[in-house]
Amino acid sequence: MDLIKQTNFDFVSKRNKFFMASLVINVVGLIAVFVFGIDLGIDFTGGTQVTVAFRKNTATADDVRGALAQLGFAGAELKSFGKPGQFLIRINKTGNASEVSAQIIASLQEKFQNDQVEMLGADNVEKKVSSELAWGAAKSLTVAFIVIVLYVAFRFEFVYGVATIVALLHDVLMAFVISALFNKTGWLNLEFSLNSLAAYLTILGYSINDSVVVFDRIRENREKHKGMPLAELVNLSINETLSRTLITGAAVLVALLTMVFIGGDVLEGFAFTMFIGVIIGTYSSVYIAASFVIWYQERVRHKRVGEVKHA
Amino acid sequence: MKQNKLGKYLLIILPVLAAVYLMWPTYRFYQLDKQRSEVSADSAALEQWDADNGEAFNKARSARIKLGLDLRGGMYVTLEVDILKLIDESADPTSKDDEFTKIVDQTRAETMNTDLDVLDTFIKNFKGSGKSLLQYFTVTGTQDVTEQAVIEKLKRDADGAVDQAMEVLRQRINKYSLSDVNIQKQGKRRVLIELPDVKDEREIRQLIQTTARLEFKRVLMNKDLLTAIQMVDNVMRGKMPAEDSVAAQVADTSKKISADTAKATQVAKADSAKADTTKTDSAKKSKDPYAGLPQEEAARRFRADHPFSNMIIFNAEGMKQPMPVGALDLSAFPEDAPFVLYVSGKDINRMMAILERNDVRKAMPGDLDIQISAKSEQNGQKGAVIPLDQQIFQVYGVAHEAELTGDVITEAWPNFDPTSNQPVVNMEMSTEGAEKWAQITGRNIKKRIAVVLDGRVYTAPTVQNKIPNGSSQISGMANTEEATILAVVLKAGALKAPVTIIEERVIGPSLGEDAIRSGVMSTGISMAFIILFMLMYYSWGGGIADIALLMNVLLTIAALTAFGGTLTLPGIAGIILSTAMAVDANILIFERIREEMRAGRNLKSALEQGYSKAWSAIIDSNLTNMLAAIPLLIWGTGPIQGFAVTLLVGTILTLFTAVLLTRSMFELVVASGAVSINIGQRKVA
Repeated sequence: MDLIKQTNFDFVSKRNKFFMASLVINVVGLIAVFVFGIDLGIDFTGGTQVTVAFRKNTATADDVRGALAQLGFAGAELKSFGKPGQFLIRINKTGNASEVSAQIIASLQEKFQNDQVEMLGADNVEKKVSSELAWGAAKSLTVAFIVIVLYVAFRFEFVYGVATIVALLHDVLMAFVISALFNKTGWLNLEFSLNSLAAYLTILGYSINDSVVVFDRIRENREKHKGMPLAELVNLSINETLSRTLITGAAVLVALLTMVFIGGDVLEGFAFTMFIGVIIGTYSSVYIAASFVIWYQERVRHKRVGEVKHA
Repeated sequence: MKQNKLGKYLLIILPVLAAVYLMWPTYRFYQLDKQRSEVSADSAALEQWDADNGEAFNKARSARIKLGLDLRGGMYVTLEVDILKLIDESADPTSKDDEFTKIVDQTRAETMNTDLDVLDTFIKNFKGSGKSLLQYFTVTGTQDVTEQAVIEKLKRDADGAVDQAMEVLRQRINKYSLSDVNIQKQGKRRVLIELPDVKDEREIRQLIQTTARLEFKRVLMNKDLLTAIQMVDNVMRGKMPAEDSVAAQVADTSKKISADTAKATQVAKADSAKADTTKTDSAKKSKDPYAGLPQEEAARRFRADHPFSNMIIFNAEGMKQPMPVGALDLSAFPEDAPFVLYVSGKDINRMMAILERNDVRKAMPGDLDIQISAKSEQNGQKGAVIPLDQQIFQVYGVAHEAELTGDVITEAWPNFDPTSNQPVVNMEMSTEGAEKWAQITGRNIKKRIAVVLDGRVYTAPTVQNKIPNGSSQISGMANTEEATILAVVLKAGALKAPVTIIEERVIGPSLGEDAIRSGVMSTGISMAFIILFMLMYYSWGGGIADIALLMNVLLTIAALTAFGGTLTLPGIAGIILSTAMAVDANILIFERIREEMRAGRNLKSALEQGYSKAWSAIIDSNLTNMLAAIPLLIWGTGPIQGFAVTLLVGTILTLFTAVLLTRSMFELVVASGAVSINIGQRKVA
């Protein structure tokens, strides 16, 4: 099969529009996230959390809330997630997770005798640990970013390293914004936790891969077509790698979509974030990474020309 | 050319063999585990199964791929030594004043949510107050009484507390015979515990938080102990007539047992002898009730008649061969003869379970406890009854009442005896404790006193003379390591190793099971989709890429198994990413080859050009990911590390499978004389 012919789309000339569009989506999304609030997982907030499942789904959120209030957990935060009848209960004070969860399960079971109440998980993270986890994640990610810039800058040019990071941030941020907002629907559990961080890391890796492939083509074409203007060179390279970009993207998306639908409680949220990320990553390798290089080069050149004029 | 071809075949076949070799135990384990759970309902069948397959099962278990708690369910706990509590507790209680409490509180407030070193902060705050540490702390065991010595002692205590907590927890958790328990030190102040397959998390939590109890008890190795052991037999036999099914067939159901006299054993023996003889019709009224039976059958019946004492091996000085306690004739036994009892490591849990039964407890004499040593011994020539390669532990009879509890100990440290140069442990006691200790040691000269922590005997030295001032020296340690552990244990009396749970996670078994099932299924199906997709789009070329892809996943998991790594959910994410990159590498190569073919090159040169031109993009993207994985591996926490490991391994393997391996396969095809290969390119007319 060979679906994608040699193409000659003009990606580059519309770059500013897409650039703006991406910027707007990210900014508006970020504002929305701050308005609606980020659902941080227990890993980063600290506290105690219990997840329960009513196997026959006879209890409503209000029922559970009432039962919790009777137990003395009136301020508990309640959220349904995943399959119907599954609830995540978060108690602000930290304390004995196994004790609290046993208490909650026992009293819920007593209250809903016709149903089968099961504990899916219980976590208790002290504030001290959660801040350490957050700090550890931030530190390792920062160093990883620096390593990426340095390597890409070394193999290509410095501006390509910066462009990779711009594309990376763009992808991760947009996937984050979409996941954070999507989490409000309660369809999947997309809280920002250590596990979902792994999903963002995957997006990061995929995004690097995509950018590097396009840059590699630009590097090659620059030798082949000496004297071709950069914008044209970039456009040619994007077109030449387009079939690879789309086919890889399609293959990976099919795999991820399978996991979204049948991956189970643990994998589905994770796969969803990656799914969003891969779509954005594919888009950004066409419109963001390479466009940034053009924008940067032209601005610098423009400046230099300006300086010459002044002199 | 021919050799070259052989090399290529080897390149393809050897990794497959390696992967199969490494993954075999995992397959074997799940196979055996399934068999085992099928027979597990019947305890006799299970025992038989364990005897037959136990070794293979354990071997497979230890070499299989380990799944993280997020995938299999279980409990994860991080403990931290509460340094401030430790400081507070080790200060002299009589000299503690408001000023001291204020400094402790201030330090607690300052270090609550930061990772400042607690001890350093305390010392800093203390220095600021202008007081001397010597006012609150006493240092023993050194001539040099300075503030620095106090600081060093506190540091030592803090470090020792982690070891102490670990030692205590390991013993306690071992009791549950859970599989794959992981207890490890994290940094200097923390202990991480992973417990898969936990049934009752609350019990475990309690177990972790109970403070250890250190006691000194008199050792009672006498006839009473042996009698008590045989009495336990009677109780057990009365409650559960037969332990294994073969014995059940022959056991006389009308067996009557009176458990309140020491003679009961003899009666029971005679009784079962009667039952046996009626069945076998031979060896009537023989002194040996099992005479005339085949050896195996006799052993089996002996076990059934002595459900408890058959586990305990008796050994006395001058005895040629050790024997089970159940076989002893107590009527001829001297009152206070020295002897040693042993139990095989594999029987300990069964033994403890029996001793904890209510009916057994009731039957035991009130002033005697049966306790087991904490550390195993080298199984020298004790041979005959317990196989040589098994761990053996000593069984002690100790007085129920403790002579002294460990809180009188002020300091304990490993040392060397200046004359013999053997490792010893020195121990100091408080004034009050030393007084009692003098009396106790005075009463028990040439007798043994056991050091018991949490119901396990760590050592049972013989008192050489009266110790007047509490300064004692314990010898008899085989090496410095043993001495260090004993010092840690003795300090458990002085310090209660104040540990707090700072992180606790419980993953319910149902979530674990669901996660594995749907995780494996969905991963499998998505792989199948990718494989189909590649086959459809790239035809034969896709098939070659698919082989490489499968090998990539297999080798990644095999490598993880070989390093003893754990597969977690983020680890799966890492595998997905590296799989995606492996697919991408092949897509890059195939698109290039197609381009070259379109440009009119023949197969051989199109392949060559395709690989060499795609190489720079592949190496750069994979290397960038590898380099990004390294800081994540070094500084990341748990899940991030899990991701980084599989990503790192996977990308390294991608370079091998997606490039080297597929190329070898293509070249083998070319070498076999093919002039064209279908990689799904458009037919050029």
